[in-house]
Amino acid sequence: MTDIDEAMLIALVDGELDEVTRRRVDRAVADDPALAERLAMHRRLRERLAGHYAPIAQEPLPDAMRALLEESAKVTPLVRSTPRWRGWAVGGAIAASLVMGLGLGRLTGGEGGPIGLHDGVMVAQGDLAQALDTQLASAQGDAAIRIGLTFQRKGGGWCRSFDGAVAGVACREGEGWQVQQALPGAGQGSAYRQASSSDARVMATVDALIDGAPVDAAGEGAARAKGWR
Amino acid sequence: MSFEHDLLAILPRLRRFAASLSRDRADGDDLCQAALERALKARDQWQPGTRLDSWIYRIMRNLWIDEARARQRAAKTFAPAEAGEHVGHAGDRDIEAHVHLSDVDRAMQALPDEQREAIALVLVEGLSYKEAAAVLGVPMGTLTSRLVRGRGALIELMGEAA
Repeated sequence: MTDIDEAMLIALVDGELDEVTRRRVDRAVADDPALAERLAMHRRLRERLAGHYAPIAQEPLPDAMRALLEESAKVTPLVRSTPRWRGWAVGGAIAASLVMGLGLGRLTGGEGGPIGLHDGVMVAQGDLAQALDTQLASAQGDAAIRIGLTFQRKGGGWCRSFDGAVAGVACREGEGWQVQQALPGAGQGSAYRQASSSDARVMATVDALIDGAPVDAAGEGAARAKGWR
Repeated sequence: MSFEHDLLAILPRLRRFAASLSRDRADGDDLCQAALERALKARDQWQPGTRLDSWIYRIMRNLWIDEARARQRAAKTFAPAEAGEHVGHAGDRDIEAHVHLSDVDRAMQALPDEQREAIALVLVEGLSYKEAAAVLGVPMGTLTSRLVRGRGALIELMGEAA
């Protein structure tokens, strides 16, 4: 009675259907309680699996893994800072400490940098946290940190891309923002506003995370009003 | 920004992927550590501009497949049906206390490797079909059919709890 097969239901749950097909499945589901139940079952399965493994990504990293990275960072040539960093003392210092892999401890102190490391997880702090909390892409003037896209990630929750001294993507976790990716940003001011080489990588991260399309200005404002919940 | 820093940023997710493939957390961390070592050693093979996470997912997955094959050869006596039998009656089983596996862990382990890795990449890691198919080196159609079969098996194994 319906031409909606299991693969289509699953693709809907996985955010893989184009708009036209998605509407077709939605309509079929609305007319067919059995189909709706199967869809709900697939949604629950995805949520349950994602929820089951999610806490692992929040745990402190094992010392052996950190040690491996720090050791490796010490013996390989350091990335030379580029002129883009000039005048960005805070960002530069953060970048340098990350590049050298030595600053893990120092970053955790919450001393002014945009990104702190808490239990092995990068979290936004200071100005970056504030920009993610409050700044709207539709009204940011010449703010030091610019918000790019605001979107729902697969599996739920808000994420925002940002650019400034550091560029990347952060997703809402509890009351804070977990930084999914941090790359050297395009900085601020006209001299440095050219597209940064990070753009493509930030977009790739957005593509990987995003469920559907980014929200517009109204959606962004509404999400902020709800405290990003 | 350095390769190590980029790795650090994605490491929590890599670790989660390793855990979802492995029998237990210790095995998962061993796998993650091994993949990290290999990635650092083979860093010249990574092409900047392509996705680092996909590259390491692929490294990790290949290491895991190699290891799984070796284990299968070593343990032909394993009865795959058994894992399915006690799902749903977990509370009755002494085995649970000592293995510390949840229904989800147990159901994932009961899946054939090719379904488990597809499920892990898409449902747990949130990769798109295209990205997951690229990591696994299979056509999209193969990936989607593994996702359909894997999900069917998980729902059966986990019962209504799914």
